[in-house]
Amino acid sequence: MARARFRRQDAVFFVLLALTAITFVVEIFFIFLKTPTEARMGIVQKVFYFHVPNAYAFYIGAVACFFGSIAYLVRPTDARDAFARAGASASVAFGAVVLITGPLWGAKAWGTLWTWDPRLTTMLLSFLIYLAYIVLRAFAGDGAAERRFAAALGVLGAANLPIIHYSVQKWGGQHPTVITGSGGGLQHPDMKIALGLGFLIFTLLAVLLIWTITRVELGRNRLRRAEEDAIDLGLDRRTEA
Amino acid sequence: MSEEMQPSAAPQSADGRSTTFQPVTGEAEHYSGEALLVSAYALIWVVLLAWVGLVWRKQGSLDARLDDLEREIEKADAKSARP
Repeated sequence: MARARFRRQDAVFFVLLALTAITFVVEIFFIFLKTPTEARMGIVQKVFYFHVPNAYAFYIGAVACFFGSIAYLVRPTDARDAFARAGASASVAFGAVVLITGPLWGAKAWGTLWTWDPRLTTMLLSFLIYLAYIVLRAFAGDGAAERRFAAALGVLGAANLPIIHYSVQKWGGQHPTVITGSGGGLQHPDMKIALGLGFLIFTLLAVLLIWTITRVELGRNRLRRAEEDAIDLGLDRRTEA
Repeated sequence: MSEEMQPSAAPQSADGRSTTFQPVTGEAEHYSGEALLVSAYALIWVVLLAWVGLVWRKQGSLDARLDDLEREIEKADAKSARP
Protein backbone atom coordinates (compact mmCIF):
# COMPACT_ATOMS: atom_id res chain seq x y z
CA MET A 1 0.00 0.00 0.00
CA ALA A 2 1.45 3.36 -1.00
CA ARG A 3 2.12 5.92 1.68
CA ALA A 4 2.18 9.62 0.92
CA ARG A 5 5.61 11.13 1.51
CA PHE A 6 5.76 14.51 3.21
CA ARG A 7 7.61 16.61 0.67
CA ARG A 8 8.91 20.16 0.67
CA GLN A 9 5.89 21.40 -1.28
CA ASP A 10 3.65 19.95 1.47
CA ALA A 11 5.61 21.91 4.09
CA VAL A 12 5.30 25.15 2.08
CA PHE A 13 1.59 24.51 1.53
CA PHE A 14 0.83 23.92 5.21
CA VAL A 15 2.89 26.93 6.32
CA LEU A 16 0.91 29.10 3.90
CA LEU A 17 -2.35 27.52 5.05
CA ALA A 18 -1.55 28.16 8.73
CA LEU A 19 -0.52 31.74 7.93
CA THR A 20 -3.78 32.28 6.04
CA ALA A 21 -5.88 30.83 8.88
CA ILE A 22 -4.16 32.95 11.55
CA THR A 23 -4.39 36.12 9.47
CA PHE A 24 -8.05 35.37 8.75
CA VAL A 25 -8.90 35.16 12.44
CA VAL A 26 -6.97 38.38 13.18
CA GLU A 27 -8.68 40.11 10.24
CA ILE A 28 -12.19 39.12 11.29
CA PHE A 29 -11.66 40.35 14.85
CA PHE A 30 -10.01 43.50 13.53
CA ILE A 31 -12.85 44.28 11.13
CA PHE A 32 -15.71 43.71 13.55
CA LEU A 33 -14.24 44.78 16.88
CA LYS A 34 -11.61 47.43 16.02
CA THR A 35 -12.32 49.08 12.70
CA PRO A 36 -14.78 51.96 13.14
CA THR A 37 -18.29 51.73 11.75
CA GLU A 38 -18.82 53.94 8.71
CA ALA A 39 -20.78 57.11 9.50
CA ARG A 40 -23.41 57.04 6.70
CA MET A 41 -23.86 53.35 5.90
CA GLY A 42 -23.38 51.79 9.32
CA ILE A 43 -22.20 48.22 9.85
CA VAL A 44 -23.07 47.06 6.30
CA GLN A 45 -20.02 48.98 5.03
CA LYS A 46 -17.87 46.24 6.62
CA VAL A 47 -18.88 44.00 3.71
CA PHE A 48 -16.38 46.15 1.77
CA TYR A 49 -13.40 44.50 3.56
CA PHE A 50 -14.40 41.13 2.08
CA HIS A 51 -16.00 42.28 -1.16
CA VAL A 52 -13.02 44.19 -2.58
CA PRO A 53 -10.31 41.60 -1.69
CA ASN A 54 -12.58 38.91 -3.18
CA ALA A 55 -12.82 40.91 -6.40
CA TYR A 56 -9.02 41.15 -6.36
CA ALA A 57 -8.75 37.36 -5.85
CA PHE A 58 -11.16 36.95 -8.80
CA TYR A 59 -8.61 38.86 -10.93
CA ILE A 60 -5.78 36.62 -9.65
CA GLY A 61 -7.69 33.52 -10.77
CA ALA A 62 -8.53 35.10 -14.12
CA VAL A 63 -4.91 36.11 -14.72
CA ALA A 64 -3.78 32.57 -13.81
CA CYS A 65 -6.31 31.20 -16.31
CA PHE A 66 -5.06 33.64 -18.94
CA PHE A 67 -1.37 32.73 -18.55
CA GLY A 68 -2.15 29.00 -18.29
CA SER A 69 -4.26 29.21 -21.46
CA ILE A 70 -1.65 31.21 -23.41
CA ALA A 71 1.06 28.77 -22.33
CA TYR A 72 -1.15 25.82 -23.32
CA LEU A 73 -1.81 27.27 -26.78
CA VAL A 74 1.95 27.78 -27.29
CA ARG A 75 2.90 24.29 -26.09
CA PRO A 76 0.14 21.97 -24.78
CA THR A 77 0.98 20.15 -21.55
CA ASP A 78 -1.17 18.71 -18.77
CA ALA A 79 0.33 21.09 -16.22
CA ARG A 80 -0.50 24.21 -18.23
CA ASP A 81 -4.03 23.03 -18.86
CA ALA A 82 -4.48 22.16 -15.17
CA PHE A 83 -3.20 25.60 -14.13
CA ALA A 84 -5.61 27.39 -16.49
CA ARG A 85 -8.50 25.25 -15.27
CA ALA A 86 -7.59 25.93 -11.63
CA GLY A 87 -7.48 29.67 -12.33
CA ALA A 88 -10.95 29.56 -13.88
CA SER A 89 -12.32 27.54 -10.94
CA ALA A 90 -10.89 30.01 -8.42
CA SER A 91 -12.35 32.90 -10.44
CA VAL A 92 -15.80 31.34 -10.32
CA ALA A 93 -15.58 30.84 -6.54
CA PHE A 94 -14.33 34.35 -5.78
CA GLY A 95 -16.58 35.92 -8.40
CA ALA A 96 -19.61 34.29 -6.79
CA VAL A 97 -18.66 35.84 -3.44
CA VAL A 98 -18.29 39.25 -5.12
CA LEU A 99 -21.70 38.92 -6.78
CA ILE A 100 -23.33 37.91 -3.48
CA THR A 101 -21.68 40.41 -1.11
CA GLY A 102 -22.11 43.32 -3.54
CA PRO A 103 -25.92 43.10 -3.75
CA LEU A 104 -26.12 42.57 0.03
CA TRP A 105 -24.34 45.88 0.47
CA GLY A 106 -26.37 47.48 -2.34
CA ALA A 107 -29.66 46.52 -0.68
CA LYS A 108 -28.77 48.80 2.22
CA ALA A 109 -26.76 51.49 0.42
CA TRP A 110 -28.78 51.82 -2.79
CA GLY A 111 -32.09 50.35 -1.68
CA THR A 112 -31.91 47.67 -4.38
CA LEU A 113 -30.09 44.35 -4.72
CA TRP A 114 -29.13 44.85 -8.35
CA THR A 115 -28.81 47.61 -10.88
CA TRP A 116 -27.41 47.39 -14.42
CA ASP A 117 -24.50 49.61 -13.47
CA PRO A 118 -21.46 49.27 -15.85
CA ARG A 119 -19.21 47.68 -13.24
CA LEU A 120 -21.84 45.24 -12.02
CA THR A 121 -22.77 44.27 -15.57
CA THR A 122 -19.17 43.75 -16.73
CA MET A 123 -18.38 41.79 -13.55
CA LEU A 124 -21.40 39.52 -14.12
CA LEU A 125 -20.37 39.03 -17.75
CA SER A 126 -16.83 38.06 -16.73
CA PHE A 127 -18.11 35.66 -14.07
CA LEU A 128 -20.35 34.00 -16.69
CA ILE A 129 -17.36 33.57 -19.04
CA TYR A 130 -15.42 31.64 -16.35
CA LEU A 131 -18.53 29.70 -15.42
CA ALA A 132 -18.88 28.75 -19.10
CA TYR A 133 -15.24 27.62 -19.06
CA ILE A 134 -15.91 25.34 -16.07
CA VAL A 135 -19.13 23.95 -17.55
CA LEU A 136 -17.35 23.33 -20.87
CA ARG A 137 -14.57 21.39 -19.15
CA ALA A 138 -17.02 19.43 -17.05
CA PHE A 139 -19.37 18.31 -19.84
CA ALA A 140 -17.54 18.56 -23.20
CA GLY A 141 -14.91 15.89 -22.56
CA ASP A 142 -11.18 16.25 -22.07
CA GLY A 143 -9.82 15.86 -25.59
CA ALA A 144 -7.20 18.07 -27.24
CA ALA A 145 -9.83 20.06 -29.19
CA GLU A 146 -11.88 20.78 -26.06
CA ARG A 147 -8.76 21.86 -24.22
CA ARG A 148 -7.75 24.21 -27.03
CA PHE A 149 -11.25 25.69 -27.19
CA ALA A 150 -11.23 26.21 -23.41
CA ALA A 151 -7.78 27.82 -23.63
CA ALA A 152 -9.11 30.25 -26.26
CA LEU A 153 -12.01 31.06 -23.92
CA GLY A 154 -9.53 31.59 -21.07
CA VAL A 155 -7.58 34.09 -23.20
CA LEU A 156 -10.72 35.90 -24.40
CA GLY A 157 -12.14 36.02 -20.86
CA ALA A 158 -9.18 38.09 -19.74
CA ALA A 159 -10.05 40.79 -22.29
CA ASN A 160 -12.98 41.78 -20.08
CA LEU A 161 -10.84 42.33 -16.95
CA PRO A 162 -9.56 45.86 -17.77
CA ILE A 163 -13.09 46.75 -18.88
CA ILE A 164 -14.41 45.85 -15.39
CA HIS A 165 -11.68 47.89 -13.77
CA TYR A 166 -12.07 51.03 -15.88
CA SER A 167 -15.84 50.83 -16.40
CA VAL A 168 -16.52 53.22 -13.50
CA GLN A 169 -14.15 55.87 -14.90
CA LYS A 170 -15.36 55.42 -18.48
CA TRP A 171 -19.12 55.10 -18.08
CA GLY A 172 -19.82 56.37 -14.58
CA GLY A 173 -22.54 54.52 -12.69
CA GLN A 174 -23.33 54.19 -9.02
CA HIS A 175 -20.51 51.87 -7.96
CA PRO A 176 -18.28 53.56 -5.32
CA THR A 177 -14.67 54.45 -6.22
CA VAL A 178 -13.15 54.53 -2.74
CA ILE A 179 -9.83 53.01 -3.82
CA THR A 180 -8.10 55.39 -6.18
CA GLY A 181 -4.57 56.01 -7.38
CA SER A 182 -4.41 59.21 -5.32
CA GLY A 183 -4.52 57.49 -1.94
CA GLY A 184 -8.10 56.32 -1.57
CA GLY A 185 -11.07 57.48 0.44
CA LEU A 186 -10.71 55.42 3.61
CA GLN A 187 -10.79 58.08 6.30
CA HIS A 188 -9.39 56.09 9.24
CA PRO A 189 -6.03 54.24 9.53
CA ASP A 190 -7.78 51.10 10.86
CA MET A 191 -9.93 51.00 7.71
CA LYS A 192 -6.76 50.97 5.61
CA ILE A 193 -5.19 48.22 7.75
CA ALA A 194 -8.36 46.09 7.50
CA LEU A 195 -8.40 46.43 3.72
CA GLY A 196 -4.65 45.76 3.43
CA LEU A 197 -4.97 42.61 5.54
CA GLY A 198 -7.92 41.57 3.36
CA PHE A 199 -5.78 41.85 0.22
CA LEU A 200 -3.03 39.79 1.85
CA ILE A 201 -5.43 37.06 3.00
CA PHE A 202 -7.26 36.70 -0.26
CA THR A 203 -3.98 36.65 -2.20
CA LEU A 204 -2.86 33.75 0.00
CA LEU A 205 -6.23 32.04 -0.33
CA ALA A 206 -6.21 32.41 -4.12
CA VAL A 207 -2.69 30.92 -4.28
CA LEU A 208 -3.70 28.01 -2.04
CA LEU A 209 -6.87 27.25 -3.99
CA ILE A 210 -5.21 27.50 -7.40
CA TRP A 211 -2.37 25.27 -6.18
CA THR A 212 -4.75 22.70 -4.72
CA ILE A 213 -7.01 22.56 -7.78
CA THR A 214 -4.00 22.35 -10.12
CA ARG A 215 -2.76 19.36 -8.14
CA VAL A 216 -6.17 17.66 -8.26
CA GLU A 217 -6.40 18.25 -12.03
CA LEU A 218 -2.89 16.87 -12.58
CA GLY A 219 -3.84 13.77 -10.57
CA ARG A 220 -6.94 13.37 -12.70
CA ASN A 221 -4.85 13.57 -15.89
CA ARG A 222 -2.37 10.98 -14.57
CA LEU A 223 -5.24 8.65 -13.69
CA ARG A 224 -6.75 9.02 -17.16
CA ARG A 225 -3.42 8.17 -18.81
CA ALA A 226 -2.90 5.21 -16.47
CA GLU A 227 -6.38 3.92 -17.41
CA GLU A 228 -5.58 4.30 -21.12
CA ASP A 229 -2.25 2.47 -20.68
CA ALA A 230 -3.97 -0.30 -18.70
CA ILE A 231 -6.53 -0.76 -21.49
CA ASP A 232 -3.74 -0.85 -24.13
CA LEU A 233 -2.00 -3.58 -22.15
CA GLY A 234 -5.20 -5.57 -21.68
CA LEU A 235 -5.17 -5.02 -17.91
CA ASP A 236 -8.62 -3.45 -17.80
CA ARG A 237 -10.44 -6.77 -17.37
CA ARG A 238 -8.75 -7.21 -14.02
CA THR A 239 -10.13 -3.91 -12.77
CA GLU A 240 -13.69 -4.63 -13.91
CA ALA A 241 -14.30 -7.23 -11.22
CA MET B 1 -21.08 35.48 44.24
CA SER B 2 -23.96 36.66 46.40
CA GLU B 3 -24.80 34.83 49.57
CA GLU B 4 -28.21 33.59 48.46
CA MET B 5 -26.67 31.93 45.36
CA GLN B 6 -24.27 29.76 47.39
CA PRO B 7 -25.28 26.12 47.64
CA SER B 8 -26.70 25.10 50.96
CA ALA B 9 -24.45 22.73 52.96
CA ALA B 10 -27.46 21.01 54.47
CA PRO B 11 -28.65 17.89 52.62
CA GLN B 12 -31.79 18.60 50.59
CA SER B 13 -34.82 16.48 50.79
CA ALA B 14 -36.58 15.24 47.65
CA ASP B 15 -39.26 17.88 48.19
CA GLY B 16 -36.71 20.70 48.72
CA ARG B 17 -34.66 20.37 45.49
CA SER B 18 -35.04 23.04 42.83
CA THR B 19 -37.59 22.41 40.12
CA THR B 20 -37.13 25.61 38.07
CA PHE B 21 -34.24 27.69 36.69
CA GLN B 22 -34.66 31.43 37.23
CA PRO B 23 -32.77 33.91 35.04
CA VAL B 24 -30.62 36.56 36.71
CA THR B 25 -32.20 39.95 36.27
CA GLY B 26 -30.62 43.40 36.37
CA GLU B 27 -27.03 42.25 35.68
CA ALA B 28 -24.81 42.79 32.67
CA GLU B 29 -24.59 39.89 30.17
CA HIS B 30 -21.87 37.35 30.99
CA TYR B 31 -20.47 37.17 27.43
CA SER B 32 -20.35 39.78 24.73
CA GLY B 33 -22.72 38.68 21.97
CA GLU B 34 -20.65 40.63 19.47
CA ALA B 35 -17.44 38.76 20.39
CA LEU B 36 -19.23 35.40 20.23
CA LEU B 37 -20.67 36.21 16.80
CA VAL B 38 -17.26 37.25 15.50
CA SER B 39 -15.66 34.12 17.02
CA ALA B 40 -18.23 31.93 15.28
CA TYR B 41 -17.55 33.69 12.00
CA ALA B 42 -13.78 33.27 12.44
CA LEU B 43 -14.25 29.60 13.30
CA ILE B 44 -16.16 28.99 10.07
CA TRP B 45 -13.17 30.24 8.08
CA VAL B 46 -10.73 28.17 10.12
CA VAL B 47 -12.82 25.03 9.52
CA LEU B 48 -13.00 25.84 5.80
CA LEU B 49 -9.23 26.24 5.60
CA ALA B 50 -8.69 23.03 7.57
CA TRP B 51 -10.87 21.32 4.97
CA VAL B 52 -8.60 22.68 2.19
CA GLY B 53 -5.66 21.15 4.11
CA LEU B 54 -7.50 17.85 4.31
CA VAL B 55 -8.14 17.86 0.54
CA TRP B 56 -4.41 18.47 0.02
CA ARG B 57 -3.50 15.50 2.24
CA LYS B 58 -5.99 13.23 0.49
CA GLN B 59 -4.57 14.24 -2.87
CA GLY B 60 -1.11 13.38 -1.53
CA SER B 61 -2.16 9.81 -0.73
CA LEU B 62 -3.92 9.54 -4.13
CA ASP B 63 -0.70 10.67 -5.84
CA ALA B 64 1.23 7.97 -3.99
CA ARG B 65 -1.26 5.32 -5.14
CA LEU B 66 -0.98 6.65 -8.69
CA ASP B 67 2.84 6.32 -8.46
CA ASP B 68 2.38 2.64 -7.57
CA LEU B 69 -0.14 2.12 -10.37
CA GLU B 70 2.13 3.73 -12.96
CA ARG B 71 5.03 1.54 -11.79
CA GLU B 72 2.91 -1.58 -12.16
CA ILE B 73 1.80 -0.52 -15.65
CA GLU B 74 5.42 0.10 -16.67
CA LYS B 75 6.36 -3.37 -15.39
CA ALA B 76 3.48 -4.97 -17.31
CA ASP B 77 4.45 -2.99 -20.40
CA ALA B 78 8.07 -4.16 -20.15
CA LYS B 79 6.92 -7.76 -19.67
CA SER B 80 4.62 -7.67 -22.70
CA ALA B 81 7.37 -6.10 -24.85
CA ARG B 82 9.73 -9.02 -24.09
CA PRO B 83 9.78 -11.66 -26.89
